[in-house]
Amino acid sequence: MTAPQPVPAPNPLLSIRDLRTVFPTGAGVARAVDGLTLGVEPGETLGIVGESGSGKSVTALSILRLIRPPGRIEAGSSITFGGTDLATCDAESLRAIRGRRIGMVFQEPMTALNPVFTVGSQIAEVVRVHERTTRQAAWGRAVAMLEAVRIPASAERAHQYPHELSGGTRQRVMLAMALVMHPALLIADEPTTALDVTVQAQILALLAELQQSLGMAVLLITHDLAIIAAVASRVVVMYGGQAVEEAPVTELFAAAHHPYTEGLLRAVPRPRLPNSPAARLAEIPGSVPPATAWPAGCRFHDRCAFAWDRCRHEMPPLYAISATHASRCHLAAEPARRTAPAPTAGTPS
Amino acid sequence: MTAPAMAPPPGGSVGTGPMRPSGDIAMLGWSLDAGPWPAIWRRFRRNRGAMAGLVVIVAIAAVSLGAPLIAPYPPNAILDMVALKSQAPSLAHPFGTDPASRDVLSRVLFGGRVSLAIAVLAMLTATTVGTMYGAISGYTGGTLDSVLMRITDACLSIPRILLLLTICALWGRASLGSLVLILGLTSWFGVSRLVRGEIMGIRTREWVMAARALGATDARILFRHLLPNIASPIIVATALGIGNVVLLEAGLSFLGVGVQPPFASWGNIMQDGADQVRALWWLSVFPGLAIVSAVIAINAVGDGLREAADPRQ
Repeated sequence: MTAPQPVPAPNPLLSIRDLRTVFPTGAGVARAVDGLTLGVEPGETLGIVGESGSGKSVTALSILRLIRPPGRIEAGSSITFGGTDLATCDAESLRAIRGRRIGMVFQEPMTALNPVFTVGSQIAEVVRVHERTTRQAAWGRAVAMLEAVRIPASAERAHQYPHELSGGTRQRVMLAMALVMHPALLIADEPTTALDVTVQAQILALLAELQQSLGMAVLLITHDLAIIAAVASRVVVMYGGQAVEEAPVTELFAAAHHPYTEGLLRAVPRPRLPNSPAARLAEIPGSVPPATAWPAGCRFHDRCAFAWDRCRHEMPPLYAISATHASRCHLAAEPARRTAPAPTAGTPS
Repeated sequence: MTAPAMAPPPGGSVGTGPMRPSGDIAMLGWSLDAGPWPAIWRRFRRNRGAMAGLVVIVAIAAVSLGAPLIAPYPPNAILDMVALKSQAPSLAHPFGTDPASRDVLSRVLFGGRVSLAIAVLAMLTATTVGTMYGAISGYTGGTLDSVLMRITDACLSIPRILLLLTICALWGRASLGSLVLILGLTSWFGVSRLVRGEIMGIRTREWVMAARALGATDARILFRHLLPNIASPIIVATALGIGNVVLLEAGLSFLGVGVQPPFASWGNIMQDGADQVRALWWLSVFPGLAIVSAVIAINAVGDGLREAADPRQ
């Protein structure tokens, strides 16, 4: 129950090093996350953004070792949280961290709650999993938590079943379950994707508010740049199972470096002014390659307008653009090439 | 939903009072006013056959339980070996008397207690064993699952009555408790297959992942999250299984290896008249009717439950 000791800023709360999560499939080994390194500072909101298949959800599941066999985290990966390596620690230490020190919210509030239990009992159960306490005390904490996630008449709502609640309310219940132990880190995997836009905004506002009051860090996973812009303080852009760009959110939106990030930003629809010419929404040509066959060299090269020979043969490292900004693109080494896109590169038609 | 016995809090301060009594039960997770049960009961009540079956089986169970109050004679009372031996049904003895001059009506009533109690207890044993076995098999999966399921396949491939006869013959004179065990431990294979399949179907649901993500152990996920979700198919299988065990016990008792004297059971009452079925027809017909009506009623209830639990059918 005591708040975690404040950690010095450069000492991350969660530190993922060289995470590799693989799934054997009929078509070969899918390398869904392939050498991801990132850190989450205490109290910050780190956004992970990427398309479907970029490895962002697998990253979230890997942190709590929720990858279902035959999928596995390869040896050599490390996920350090509060001095424990979650990738290798024993099952009981891991279980004690799940839900207590790290909370998790899933995408589908419709399916992430057990249909045969009241929502109050599901929240109370999280308490009882982690603490020796009476049913009454756990129930009281559940009701208090429902109130904290702004569910009106929480004492009555606690007695309702998931199917009696709206999508937004269910997602609030999921938040209550994830936060009832006051974790130091919340992992939210597409927490609002399944919700109406107005409800989405309410949930995000609630999330920001709870983050303030509980002083926790949030790892927010989404494909939606608008959500990143609204709540994240730092962003990791994922592509092909790797981080391709990492930057503070303002810097990313003002001066994205990686061509993939630029493409993502251009693909966000904007309202057209009355007399402006009709602009076709810019798309990134092609689609994310299958994780069983990442291209050689830069994984984005066959969709990139700037790609040249080096990109096809040499995997770019994460180049430091500034102290806080990094990009996995050879353009950082050869900036002159940005002005002259190679005509042979994949062109949209 | 709210218990009627509990007075509303004064001042009508709904929601600020202590939690409702049903909340306590709901937290245990097995409440009957919870989840799918009210809807199942509504559909069940519309099913006339199932309701008739329910009435019949409740009546049979009630007169069996009340046998000491209702039965005109003690079940083993030898009334008059000379004057009242093998009497056909009459007003004094509506079901007749047997070759030992015992009142058959009294024996059928008392036999019902034995037959039904054995069936219910044996099936509860079978359901418990089968549920544990199937749940572990289905939840664990992989090699263990294959091995466990091949074992049940092997057991299912042996004709049940042969298996039972062999066990009973080897056991010697089985007590009622042993009979419950013998019948229970040979009736769980089907339940285990059912439970295993159901668990496999729901173990990859997102709420299972969510429970694990929040720190639930495997045992808690299996017993607190998964099993309550498949309570209705398990209950249906148990209900149908009880009817089956009634028949098996009657068969064994008729063959002389089941319920042993001095206990009366529906099967061994028939056995008492087995060598003169034509002459002493009442010794077969009345316990036979009891068996048939109980089994039909139980199966009607079981089928009704299944249809009510699965509205797609």
